[in-house]
Amino acid sequence: MTTASVLVNGRDRPLADGETLAALLERLGLGARYALVERNGEPVERGRYGEVRLEDGDRLVVARPVAGG
Amino acid sequence: MADRDAFVVAGREFDSRLLAGTGKYDSFETMREALAASGSEIVTVAVRRIDLDSAAGDITDFLPDGVLLLPNTSGCETAEEAVRTARLARAGGLPDWIKLEVIPDPRYLLPDPVETLRAAAELVEDGFTVLPYVLPDPVLQKKLEEVGCATVMPLAAPIGSGRGLKFRDAIRIMVEQAEVPLVVDAGLGAPSHAADAMELGADAVLVNTAIARADDPIAMARAFRLAVEAGRTAFHAGVMDERADAEASSPLTGAVHRS
Repeated sequence: MTTASVLVNGRDRPLADGETLAALLERLGLGARYALVERNGEPVERGRYGEVRLEDGDRLVVARPVAGG
Repeated sequence: MADRDAFVVAGREFDSRLLAGTGKYDSFETMREALAASGSEIVTVAVRRIDLDSAAGDITDFLPDGVLLLPNTSGCETAEEAVRTARLARAGGLPDWIKLEVIPDPRYLLPDPVETLRAAAELVEDGFTVLPYVLPDPVLQKKLEEVGCATVMPLAAPIGSGRGLKFRDAIRIMVEQAEVPLVVDAGLGAPSHAADAMELGADAVLVNTAIARADDPIAMARAFRLAVEAGRTAFHAGVMDERADAEASSPLTGAVHRS
């Protein structure tokens, strides 16, 4: 049996059954105040992180604000 | 001149006319103190993918209270990339203000006017407050105003070059015809350059490298704050016209040695 997984910034990460985006971010230590997330190419509203249930094979981009001009 | 000379962008009022970047500081601690010394109320940040192996240190923990975070679209080479970055930032809880940069050229970091205009139109349509970074082009300025940009931000000189107002005549025309605030962004290396832009009539300036890379960034931030205030006050006071010949400041008659 294969384990469900998601791609986070191009890297494979195991996915717990029924895991929400918020839970995954927390588990990966990415629960930063401004974790910005695209799921399968679409931006996810911050208010929905706790309700979006991830699916096997989802592609996530997780970004954040960094120093810049 | 009114007691308060507010800098108004998209209906929001600011006291400071110095916008500050957060790049190139040696540490977040120094950045925090320099930002406080600058008095800036609008502070830019970039948006980047998180490094899964080293996610420590959140810049937002080091920004002075009450500043408006202005995400930029640095790293984007096309309108599509810039729009995508802006939407990601807004969805994730950053403000719906965006410093729009579309820069395909890594050597001089000059912005692409066609892609910038395309992205600006799309982002305004999508509800963003758009502050585009551009070459000093008075025609492009009008087109950006027409699509609804909140400011237009011409460069003084290439990013990080510290060369001051290299496109003075074009920026003078932009000041003259501006219908939204004109912010001189990039290339200002010294407080005198910032004062120069303000004396010319720019509504504000945006500074990063010149402060962050100074020997003492905190003192330099204060120097820029004072220079922007000086330049703005001088603009209102009316800078004298230059003349080719001399004109004595003291009386030409009644010198002591003359009878």
